[in-house]
Amino acid sequence: MRIVVTRPRVGPGRMWQVVLWTALAAAGTAAVLLWKPTALVYGVQRAGLYAAVAIPMALVLGIVHIVNLAHGELMMVAAYLAYFAARLLGLDPFVALVPVALVMAVLGLALYQVTIRHSLKAPELNQLILTFGLGIALSQMVNLLFTSQSWKLSLDYVSASATVGNISFGVFDFVYAGAAIALALGLRLFLTRTRLGKAALAVGQNPRGAAIVGIDVGRTYAFVFALAVGLIGAVGSIFLAKQAIFPLVGGPYTMKSFCLVAMAGVGNIVGILYCSLALGLSESIINSIRGYAGWSNVVFFAIIIVTILVRSFRERKA
Amino acid sequence: MRKAFVAVACFALLAVAAFGQGVIKLGANWPLADVSGLECSKAAQLAVDEINKAGGVLGKQLQLVVVDDEGKGDKGVAAIEKLVTVDKVDVLLGGIASGVAVAQVPTLKKYQMVTVATGAAASASVEKALGPSPGSDWYFHLHPWDYDQGQSYYEGWDAIQKKYPNVVIRRIFLAYEEGAFGKSSFDASKALFGSRYTFDGASFKSALQGGSDYSSVLEAAKDFNPDLFIWAGYAQDALPLLEQSKAMKFSPPIYLGAPPAWPVDMGKSPLAEDIMLYGMWAPSINDISPASRKFYDAYVAATGSAPTSYFAALSYSAVYIIADAVKRAGGTDAARLIPALEKTRYVSPLGQTITFTPSNIIKHQGIKNQKILQWQDGRQEVIWPFEVQSRALVYPLPPWK
Repeated sequence: MRIVVTRPRVGPGRMWQVVLWTALAAAGTAAVLLWKPTALVYGVQRAGLYAAVAIPMALVLGIVHIVNLAHGELMMVAAYLAYFAARLLGLDPFVALVPVALVMAVLGLALYQVTIRHSLKAPELNQLILTFGLGIALSQMVNLLFTSQSWKLSLDYVSASATVGNISFGVFDFVYAGAAIALALGLRLFLTRTRLGKAALAVGQNPRGAAIVGIDVGRTYAFVFALAVGLIGAVGSIFLAKQAIFPLVGGPYTMKSFCLVAMAGVGNIVGILYCSLALGLSESIINSIRGYAGWSNVVFFAIIIVTILVRSFRERKA
Repeated sequence: MRKAFVAVACFALLAVAAFGQGVIKLGANWPLADVSGLECSKAAQLAVDEINKAGGVLGKQLQLVVVDDEGKGDKGVAAIEKLVTVDKVDVLLGGIASGVAVAQVPTLKKYQMVTVATGAAASASVEKALGPSPGSDWYFHLHPWDYDQGQSYYEGWDAIQKKYPNVVIRRIFLAYEEGAFGKSSFDASKALFGSRYTFDGASFKSALQGGSDYSSVLEAAKDFNPDLFIWAGYAQDALPLLEQSKAMKFSPPIYLGAPPAWPVDMGKSPLAEDIMLYGMWAPSINDISPASRKFYDAYVAATGSAPTSYFAALSYSAVYIIADAVKRAGGTDAARLIPALEKTRYVSPLGQTITFTPSNIIKHQGIKNQKILQWQDGRQEVIWPFEVQSRALVYPLPPWK
């Protein structure tokens, strides 16, 4: 398993495939723009949210090699922290982003040392059950402390809109797309340009080999896990700005993140951007067809299943 | 030594039995992890404490035993079993979710203990499962059925349009969450309003289920250009829907929300201003109902916070209704208690006097109407019924600021 951070090479023989897919994408975009331009807008926004949430999970899976099924619940905890920062200290979620991320990173480190670290050599099923249990514990703890009632900040800027012709649409959600791109680029720079990042990459690719050359694998795992939890904490703070929070808000995002990571391929952070775009747009387009909104989840998972099956067949052929 | 031990044990058992004879036990189930369920439990306990402080009922103290049904059918059934067989309660009360209530019906029928239900609106499942009189005469349903609610909304809008001639409703759009609650709301509303109004709707994925994008349903609503826009979802959808409506510049003349509960501090949001809602109780009723004022002040004093939904007032009422009926019946024997409950005329904190009359299937239905309210200056004000109206209607919804 490895984190893919370089641009995939395209040989001359496959150039026509790239041109074809690009042309198809352009044609599809033009068709959607003519039929329902807002489907494109909201699809990109939705894709941004999915990608921003999924990228930290991909980081953990690609380097530490565990699926963190408490991922969405950690985002939920961060959102609650940001909520209290807003209510008690008057901090806007975007201002609270850094302190919340730091607190969450410390929490992530603690969770790693107490639980994750001891399961690294265990079977993958054990790791799944462990993180699943962590997720349940977090959501139930929050439920006990604060009940199931939803909390929501009322922020004026989340209703910001733009008008093109006679169509008005919200623009705040582009923040998620920006966050996703920033996360992907930032991680790419970190993993390829910094000593610690390169060490993390090496550990992700070959932990034994990394240990032989003197990299402290355990410490690297701890750092990466804490970093990922810190990043999802930052996303949680932004999430609070627009969304209502309640103890179970994170669960659906764990599932979608896991599916996106599976679809993009383990450790393929940039791939998550493309996959999120495909899924976000397809969801948005299906939602825009009257009477078919209930099919958006079906289409979402159908695309994932098809992608994984196609990849499996290709790998088998190779 | 052994004889002394046996004597002490017998004495202890007798003492417990004697003590137990001075207590009337009420057994309740609510989802305690849910804020509405928790408030029900607190409100019911408040009522019990008040009654006991005033001397109890028939010289006996009331004791409330609450079991958490966790909002799940199997836990709800287990709650009833425990309350009846282990705690040996005299009367049952409680419930919120229809899904839990329908699961409990077979067990309730097995014991046929007098039950005063504070929840369950789904008539197609719960009322049908209960069946007609005399098989369900032990069941007293306080909460209005879904068709009761729909009918009251129909009457309410009719009355509002008559009182306020500038309010004209011809087109109604219902945005509904795609689950059972939303779908049944849409079906019931379409059946009720479809004959008189031009009615349409579309579904959305609730934030409770991981949704966050209401653009499609709001675009459909905008295209439809309704006079009355209603959304049926959950508390998690309330503010995001309004925020997105503002971003899309969708402001129908009447914007109404129909969630089971609202988010904390909803009233503090400027977006809530002049939004309408369906409900059964609001603090504004304190201004016109001494019973509501008494309940509200006592609840705030006891718990430190205000109730967030009508369930608290409903549960409080349930305890008082039971206590009053036990007093008139002279005991908790079902043969005497049922006729006593049938004669109930309880001036409730909900701004109405509760009596029991037949509904479509069962014999003992309490409340049959909801209220139409409007957020004004951060408070839910009653617009209809006019007997408990607290402020005049603000119409139409002003442009988004």
